[in-house]
Amino acid sequence: MSNAIVTNGLIKRYKDKTAVDGISITVEEGKLVALLGVNGAGKTTTIRMLTCLSKPTAGTARVLGHDVVKESDEVKKLVGISTQDTAVAENLTVRENLEFMASLYLPKERIGGAVEKAIKAFGLEEFRNKKAKHLSGGWKRKLSIAMAIIGEPKILFLDEPTLGLDVLARRQLWTEIEEIKKHMTIVLTTHYMEEAEALADEIFVMINGKIAAHGTLSELEARTGKTGLEEVFIKIAEEY
Amino acid sequence: MKNRTLSFAKRNLIEMSRDSLSYIFCVAFPLVMLVIMSIVNASIPKEAGMTLFRIDNLAGGIAIFGQTFVMLFSALNVTKDRSGSFLVRLFASPMKSRNFTGGYFLPLIVVAFVQVIIAFAASFIVSLVTGTELSVLGLLAGAVAVIPSAVMFIAIGMIFGTIFNEKAAPGMCSIIISLGAIVGGIWFDVEGVGGFMEKLSRCLPFLYSTKVARAAIKMDFGFDTFLMPLIVVTGSAVVLTALACFFFGRKMRADLA
Repeated sequence: MSNAIVTNGLIKRYKDKTAVDGISITVEEGKLVALLGVNGAGKTTTIRMLTCLSKPTAGTARVLGHDVVKESDEVKKLVGISTQDTAVAENLTVRENLEFMASLYLPKERIGGAVEKAIKAFGLEEFRNKKAKHLSGGWKRKLSIAMAIIGEPKILFLDEPTLGLDVLARRQLWTEIEEIKKHMTIVLTTHYMEEAEALADEIFVMINGKIAAHGTLSELEARTGKTGLEEVFIKIAEEY
Repeated sequence: MKNRTLSFAKRNLIEMSRDSLSYIFCVAFPLVMLVIMSIVNASIPKEAGMTLFRIDNLAGGIAIFGQTFVMLFSALNVTKDRSGSFLVRLFASPMKSRNFTGGYFLPLIVVAFVQVIIAFAASFIVSLVTGTELSVLGLLAGAVAVIPSAVMFIAIGMIFGTIFNEKAAPGMCSIIISLGAIVGGIWFDVEGVGGFMEKLSRCLPFLYSTKVARAAIKMDFGFDTFLMPLIVVTGSAVVLTALACFFFGRKMRADLA
């Protein structure tokens, strides 16, 4: 299996703060990895660098073999992102939002089919002609993720996709993420331990901009002697 | 074939067409001013020799006045996108700086053109009511002649929208709206006033915009009355558009740093 993402000593510094401090990670194609950490751990900054939204201060990052700084045009064609805030055009309908995003990536003749597929995949049929601003938080988040995958990216970045959703909406979204996982590599950031536990093939624990630990859940449990991701996370954070 | 500029332009046009403020500021308000000023004109005695609000002069002024509100929408379009996450998503897409600037400009040019057509259609009706001669050909010439001016105002709006935030940009646009109305010769004869006001008016492009519109409507295509003002407005539009593209590109690079 080839690598989807490889970073080497990746650093992002702002004026007086180092948000990401020399992380080196490898993500295999087809995997769903979770970046886990408290607020300010550097998860979103890492995603921003990997999606060409922010330039690394030092170090390198390659996405499907392309350098995120030197080959950002290529990288942008291969990745999709759903940001923490639902990034939708509020006055456009569900269908129009999807058509617009599809038109940025796909040839004209494939847009209609891709839109219908996305609407069906996320159960958006009854809302297709409803303006985005009239959707509930959960449906808006689904639309936001549908917009991220409609360009058929090879890698999908989900930045806290279930933040602020009720438990039912969150579980429903998990089912959809499980389905997407069959078709692309996914990098997910989350605060919710049970989310990472349920969805991730591999977990990276970030603390203060560094990777404090990584591995599968069972590997992390074996290393820390704890059971369950929450206990594992606390143990790692205390020891770090 | 993927045309990202047109896709983004279409999105912006739809967003604007669904915002009731677009209709209030871009269509209703200029029309209300047209009616009010026509009523004012009717109450001015002929002996006063004041022709500024006569429909053949007023129509051109209203066209430029309307464009200042298109500028406001230009600024709002950019600041609204900047204040949310939508632009972040688009920055992560294959869209380039030129796709954004083109996508912001194109729908507003359409809006400005439709706006001037509506204003001139209303002006023609007023001319029939008041018995003032207004040629359809002149109005059509005027609608085309004010396009450079529309581009200039859209560019100013885009510069403000890029530099300032959602709260400050409309305020800056209000200054230009007031300035344009005063020194643009829309509501009073700045050349007649003379002095500093006239000098200031001649240093800014707004008076030339009004002159182009008025001359074209009267089918007066002389060098001093039409061509020279058109050159000034077109030159200003080119410079300001280049600046708008520069500022947006710089902002985009800064956001992605």
